[in-house]
Amino acid sequence: MDHPQTPRILAPHLQAFQHKLVRMLGKVETLQGDTAVIDAGGKVDIILNRDCHLALGHAVEIIGKVDGNLHIKVQAATDFGTGIDFDAANAVVEATHRHKEIFYDD
Amino acid sequence: MSYNNYDSGYNTSYGAGGGGGGGGFVPDGSQNSPGGGRKDYSQDSLRPVTIKQILDAQPVGNGFNIDGSPITQLTFVGQIRNISSQATNITYKLDDGTGSIEVKKWVDSDAIEQDSTKTKLTEGSYCRAWGKLNSFNDRKHVGAQIIRPVEDLNEVSYHLLEATVVHLHFTRGPPSGAAATTGGNVPQQQQQQQAAGAGFVAADLAGYSSAAKRVFQHMRQAEQTNEGLHQQDIAAKLGMDPAEVARAGDDLLSGGLIYTTVDDLTWAVLEGE
Repeated sequence: MDHPQTPRILAPHLQAFQHKLVRMLGKVETLQGDTAVIDAGGKVDIILNRDCHLALGHAVEIIGKVDGNLHIKVQAATDFGTGIDFDAANAVVEATHRHKEIFYDD
Repeated sequence: MSYNNYDSGYNTSYGAGGGGGGGGFVPDGSQNSPGGGRKDYSQDSLRPVTIKQILDAQPVGNGFNIDGSPITQLTFVGQIRNISSQATNITYKLDDGTGSIEVKKWVDSDAIEQDSTKTKLTEGSYCRAWGKLNSFNDRKHVGAQIIRPVEDLNEVSYHLLEATVVHLHFTRGPPSGAAATTGGNVPQQQQQQQAAGAGFVAADLAGYSSAAKRVFQHMRQAEQTNEGLHQQDIAAKLGMDPAEVARAGDDLLSGGLIYTTVDDLTWAVLEGE
């Protein structure tokens, strides 16, 4: 099975990526049942699936689809621990959009 | 089994691959007389790339180009999507968000498997791979020498930024500041060295003793073969104590400004060019 591209985005980009599959790295702020809020250049509501194991205060990288309410429906989540440099991670997002030719097709 | 076809495809480029561990013996390559058709490794490079760049690589002859430059060894970071273990290799499907590609690591039956590395390479985890791009039936894959787990996930950010920098280097040249200095200054420095060597050398030798500066300056200017100059000759020419010259030489040697040639007491200037 092939794996589609997952553009790396932050909260301000959600509007532009509605109904698209994206990848987002953020810090887990609140956890409530099957929803959570992560901070990725702004607060983002995410809807979890059964396989997600998020930890409060940890960085998490999610892959999911942006819905009409600008929430992300998570398909996969990877715990990135507590040592993540978010400035670097946000610089990556900026670089991937500025120099798209080596990252994404559309 | 399709594996046999695949194997021959792999062999054609194995000679340039090095490492890899078992599996690819190239009869022609190893029996050629020296210099007779051996691969030229002087153009080898190790380039950080995104998986999209690998998938977009342009085939040229037996190799591939990225950004118009030939590639040899590649390194990239990705998340393991699938692992399939075969008798002779393990195939990992890596995804870095920009695309996905199969990475084959040949199993070296002689080597003691590093279990700790292998057990950390699980589906969903991030790893870094080093290897060469191969293509078989228009399907690209990477023959990996090394795959290791990513321990600090900041390496993911680091890698993507590094790949961007290298991409920009190839497509736009070095950063404008550096381009101006290297491009403009190198010839200028050489002229300075020839015209007013003393001034340039003094600046270059900040932190060295005055004896070391004298010795170095003499070595730059004195006529010599490519064997350089003997410590005794330098001492005699400069009228310095041989022990002092020896100390100066030690400093210059450890600073990487000169190097020993035919013996420990014969030195030549390590030229930048």
